Amino acid sequence: MSMSMDSAPLQEPAPPGASGSAVYFDGSSSRRHLVTPVFKDRLELDETGEATVVWSYDDIRRADGPPGVLRLRCVTALALARLEIRDASVASELVSRCARLDEHAPGRHGVGAIIGWSLAAAASIVAVVLFGVPLAADRLTPLVPQALERRFGDAADAQVKAFFGDKICNEAAGQQAFSKLVDRLRDAAGLDNSVGAAVLATPIPNAFALPGGRIYVFSGLLAKVDNPDEIAGVLAHELGHLKHRDSVREVIHNGGSSFLIGLLFGDITGSGAVIFASRSLVTASYSREAEQDADSFAIDVMHRLGRSPKGLGELLFRVTGKEGDKSLSILANHPLTEDRLKRMNEEDRPPSGPPLLTDPEWIALKAICG
Amino acid sequence: MGSVPLVPPPLPPVAASFSGDRSEFRRLVTRGALLELVTVGFYRFWLATDIRRHLWTHTAVEGDAFEYTGRGKELLVGFLFALAILVPIYLAYFLVGIEAERLKAFASFPLFAFLYVFGQFAIYRARRYRLTRTVWCGVRFWMEGSGWAYAARAALWAVLMLLTLGLILPWREAALERYKMRHSHYGDLQGRFEATGWEFFKRGWWIWLLGIASVTLPAVVIGLATAYAPARLPLAKLATTGNPVLVIAMLVAGPILYAVFKALEWRWWLSGIRFGDVRFEATLSRGALIGLYWKVIGWLVLISVAFGGYLYLCMQLVVRATEMPMDRFLASGGLQGNILFLVLVGIGYLPFALLFNVVMRVYLMRDVWVRLVGSTQVHGLGTLADVSVRGDLASAVGEGLADGLDVVGF
Repeated sequence: MSMSMDSAPLQEPAPPGASGSAVYFDGSSSRRHLVTPVFKDRLELDETGEATVVWSYDDIRRADGPPGVLRLRCVTALALARLEIRDASVASELVSRCARLDEHAPGRHGVGAIIGWSLAAAASIVAVVLFGVPLAADRLTPLVPQALERRFGDAADAQVKAFFGDKICNEAAGQQAFSKLVDRLRDAAGLDNSVGAAVLATPIPNAFALPGGRIYVFSGLLAKVDNPDEIAGVLAHELGHLKHRDSVREVIHNGGSSFLIGLLFGDITGSGAVIFASRSLVTASYSREAEQDADSFAIDVMHRLGRSPKGLGELLFRVTGKEGDKSLSILANHPLTEDRLKRMNEEDRPPSGPPLLTDPEWIALKAICG
Repeated sequence: MGSVPLVPPPLPPVAASFSGDRSEFRRLVTRGALLELVTVGFYRFWLATDIRRHLWTHTAVEGDAFEYTGRGKELLVGFLFALAILVPIYLAYFLVGIEAERLKAFASFPLFAFLYVFGQFAIYRARRYRLTRTVWCGVRFWMEGSGWAYAARAALWAVLMLLTLGLILPWREAALERYKMRHSHYGDLQGRFEATGWEFFKRGWWIWLLGIASVTLPAVVIGLATAYAPARLPLAKLATTGNPVLVIAMLVAGPILYAVFKALEWRWWLSGIRFGDVRFEATLSRGALIGLYWKVIGWLVLISVAFGGYLYLCMQLVVRATEMPMDRFLASGGLQGNILFLVLVGIGYLPFALLFNVVMRVYLMRDVWVRLVGSTQVHGLGTLADVSVRGDLASAVGEGLADGLDVVGF
């Protein structure tokens, strides 16, 4: 006994467990091979007493297995070759011999690396949205052909009419006065006659310019207008948007940033709200800038015609009321009405040009919707 | 002693089993949700992989557990490829949409049909990826066939679905599953699908009828009353949508019917699958999933209430910041377009959405899976004793497309 005890370290340890203590799949078929693992300088798998398979310990890797089963693969064997060991003592013996068992093991993907790269990707997307997209929108806008812009406009026009009804106000005398007003402003603004304007019968007090040069004034706004200079100021403001091609820029800007932000949040279910919120944050400052530019343009045009821009500010104030106590001014998505009123008042000059419309023309314009 | 039978008697069916620990899965998806939050969603590829690895390795037939060999990085690469494909498509879609709108407002709507077909293609290819990453007894499943041919079939069946108000669903599912299974293989064993639409219809037609009736009956009754007997309109409303008891009954019945429908569908689907002589049999009872759906609804209510409380707090905070009485603030429409409020809502929304995702994954993914596996018997396993490895791995682009298009399919 003592002799064999002394010589034990020199011998290979007797294979633990009964024969057939492991299941081996050779990677070419689903046939189960009952094998006995024998620990020599390499791992031998004995089937019917002879070593049919030999795996180097350094080549053995862990594969996904159920609890209580050590499932292994071998980097030099067929991709699907598997060894499954249920006997805990055999398993721990084998684990202690395989130094590179958990190299590239599934589930050991470096979480730190994933977080780092994700944050880097997020930071770069945010940077592109904040700086790259506005820059690209500015640079790309002049490159968009007028023809394409007009097509955007036609599409938007169909939607506007679907939403607000397609009743255009065109009482003959009123229409004549309106055309005269639009023509004078257009000439002063230096725009060609692809630009057109119309009054749409809807009670909402609003006006806007569609891409391609169509301006709509809603009859609800016209009803609140007190003199020709006020409506002229509104038209001049919208002409400013057309001159700067703001709607094209907005399409590129909104499309680009919402696409990128959508990409960022990807699959977190129902992230629409987040995307919406972050997009309005991004577009807030942008619209603010565009609105201010359009205001500057309107002031300029009105001065050129020898009229005061003050009326525009007063009309806006009449429509929206005081805004300063409604929301934090820095986050508001357009310049505050009182700031705009103040600015228009500062630009007030005594009229040096003739009135834009005669009194009868003005009365006809107010009655354009009959 | 009688004569020895020449043909061995068929082996008794073997039960499939699931050995996973529920709390372990819960930890897995909770941790995954937090990591999704930290990585602004990019962790989803690794989370999906970990969920599948958990479900696959704990599912065993005759003691042999499945293995999922897909990796998160493959899904990420598939997603990036899918982006490269989707970006030009979305751009073209946008331009074509503009053209269509020019002719007629909202004419671009039918273009959704194109994205639907594309989504079906993605569903097919995503299943192919998952199947080729599934290994059992050292042999992998694999799939061939054309994603486009499948998408065309799915689209035609979708048209029939619209025309028949969904009555044709069982035949649609049977036909599409036949195509998928005909092209699925386990090693050199070809799969097929033998359940018929008629069998599914026989079990579930009443659910369809109740669903249709709950929508059309009130409309018909109220419509008739309005047209012919306006004096009886209150009575007609009381008998249909105006009756709170009836409305509550319908709200309660909805999820129950859906749970029964899903149980029937799963059972029918499993019973139709064949690989050679191997067939499956599920004893999933009709009511097996009802409790799960109600638990999810309970969680949804809880989460909604908590989110409502959070919204109220945000509102108070914003109102205080603007120093204006609450009623005047609300009357002036101060919340709409208030960016501070939107930011607070957005920040608060994410944890609630992620919590709901955890609930969905635990109840509707893991628990449904466990119940289905637990009720499954496998017949004719003898055929699987010696199946040869065949087939190649498929790329994960389909998964990426399904992710990018937000389609879910099986």
